[in-house]
Amino acid sequence: MSEMISTSGLTKKFKELVAVNQVNFRVAEGQVAGVIGPNGSGKTTLFNLLSGYFPPSEGQVTFQGEDVTGQPPEARVAMGMARTFQLVSVFDHLTVWENLVLSNVRFRHNGSWLTNFFFKNARKKAILEYCQESLDTVALSDQAGTVTSELSYGDKRMLEIAIALSLKPKLLLLDEPLAGLSDHEIGEVIELLQKVKSDFTLVIIEHKISKIMDLVESLSVMNEGAIICEGEPDEVLSNTDVRECYWGREDC
Amino acid sequence: MIDTLLYGVTIGAILYIFSIGLSITFGTMQIVNFAHGMVYSLGVYLFITFLPWVAGIFPLAMALAVAAMLPIAYLVERFIIRRLYGESLDYAIIATYAVLLIGADVIKYIWGTEPQPVSDPIGIPLVIFGVVIQLYRVVVFLSAIVLFIGLKIFFTRNVIGKVVIAALEDRDGVRALGLDVNKYFSIAFIIGSGLAVLGGVLYSPITTSEPYMGFHILLLAFAVVIVGGMGNLTGTFFSAFALGMVIAITGRLYSSAADTMVFVVMALVLLKDPIFNFFRKLVGKPAIS
Repeated sequence: MSEMISTSGLTKKFKELVAVNQVNFRVAEGQVAGVIGPNGSGKTTLFNLLSGYFPPSEGQVTFQGEDVTGQPPEARVAMGMARTFQLVSVFDHLTVWENLVLSNVRFRHNGSWLTNFFFKNARKKAILEYCQESLDTVALSDQAGTVTSELSYGDKRMLEIAIALSLKPKLLLLDEPLAGLSDHEIGEVIELLQKVKSDFTLVIIEHKISKIMDLVESLSVMNEGAIICEGEPDEVLSNTDVRECYWGREDC
Repeated sequence: MIDTLLYGVTIGAILYIFSIGLSITFGTMQIVNFAHGMVYSLGVYLFITFLPWVAGIFPLAMALAVAAMLPIAYLVERFIIRRLYGESLDYAIIATYAVLLIGADVIKYIWGTEPQPVSDPIGIPLVIFGVVIQLYRVVVFLSAIVLFIGLKIFFTRNVIGKVVIAALEDRDGVRALGLDVNKYFSIAFIIGSGLAVLGGVLYSPITTSEPYMGFHILLLAFAVVIVGGMGNLTGTFFSAFALGMVIAITGRLYSSAADTMVFVVMALVLLKDPIFNFFRKLVGKPAIS
C-alpha cells in the first residue's frame, strides 16, 4: 500500500517548549490510524502541522508523495485532506443546511469561467444533492433548517463530521471526535465512522482508547512531543512504556 | 433639542459608513488599520477634484472618487495589511499609521493645507417639528439606513458575505473548508474602503475637508468599533448612532467635551465588568443579570 501521509523529522518549537520532537509518522492509504497520548503530549500540534495550521520548525510533511510542508491549510484541503477540531468547529449563526452549503463553496468555483457559465446550474444541483447526501449520512436531515447554535453538542459534532465528509477527503483527520459526548452519542459517531471508513484514510486522535480499539488498525502513542511506540493496537497497548506513560507506573 | 438629535443622527450615519471597513478588518484579521483614514481623506480630495470635471454632479463625482480609491485600497491590502496578519499588533499600528501620515503628506503636497469647503448639493431646507434642517442631512441618514439593509442582505445572502461572516466567527474553521480567507477578506476590505470614501464624501458638505481629517474620524470610529463589538456589523450600526448622539448632545451642553465624551463611553464599555462587579458587591446581589 502506498503512503497517504508521512512526516520526517517533524518538529515544532514554541520558544523553549518543544511540542513535537523529530516525529516520523506514516499512514498508509486506506488505513485507519489512531494517535493517543496524555494531555500535552503534542497530538493536536501534530495535527496542526499535518493540516498546515502551524508551520513546522523543522522537518517535512508529505501527502500522497508530494511535499506539502509549505502549503496552507486551504491548499491541503483542495488536495484532499480534511480535518475536524478538538473544540467542535461549526458556524453557529448558520442553519445546519447553510453550514453544509458553505462547506461546498469551493466546488462552486472550480473549473474555467466557460464551464462555470454553462454548467453553473448543473453544478449547483449536484452540490446540493451532495450536501443532502452528507446530511443523510449523519442522520441530520430532519434538522436541516435548525440554527446550529440550537443543536446539542453531539449533533454539532456530527455536523462537523458531515462537513468534513462533504469535502470529499482522501485523508480525514479527526481531533478527539468523541470528546464531550455522551455514551449514546459516542456510539453513534463510532457507528458512523465504521460505516464510512472504507471511503478514505482516517487518522483519529482520541483519549478514549477503548472506544476506538475496534476501529483503528494501527496505533501511535505520543509522549512529550515524540512518538514512543507504534504498531498494531493490541501490541502497542501491551508495551510497558506505553502503559507507564498512559496509566502510570502502578498499573503496569 | 430636535436639531441636536438630528445632528447626532447625521454624525452617527457618517460614523457608521466609515466604521464598517474598520470593524471588518479588526474582526477578521485582528489588525488595527489606521490606513482607513488615508483612504477616507484621499477619497474626499479626489472627489473635490472630480466635482468641477463632471459639471458639479455630486453623485457622479462621488462614484468616480470611490472607483479611483478601490485600486489604491487593494494595493494597501495586498502589500501592507496582508503582510501584517499574524504579526504583533504594534507592527500593524506602526505600518498603517505610516500609510496615514504618507496620505496626509500627499494631500498637502498636491492640494495644499487650506481647508476645502464643499457646498450642499441639495440646498433645500426642511421644517421638521418647527426646526429647519437641510434635506441633505436627511439624505445622509437615509443612505446609512439603506447601506445597513444592503450590507445585511449581502452578509446573509451572498456567498462572499457569508464566508466573511463565518470567518469572523471561526477563521480556522473556514480554512478547513478549503477556502482562502485572505481572498474573501480582500473583497471585504475593498468594500469597506469604498464605504469609507462614501462616508467622507457624504460628510464633506457638512464639514470642511483638510489633510488631517482622517485622523479625527479614525479615533471616533475606533470608539464606535470597540463599543459595537469588533466585527459586529449590527453592533457597529447602533454604536455609531449612539455615539453620534453622545457627540451631539455633549456638544450642545459643553462643546469642548463632545469628542471626549465618546471615549468616556468607550471606557465605560471596556470597564463594564469591573463596574458591574463593584455595584454587585455594593448591593450584595447582581446589579445587572
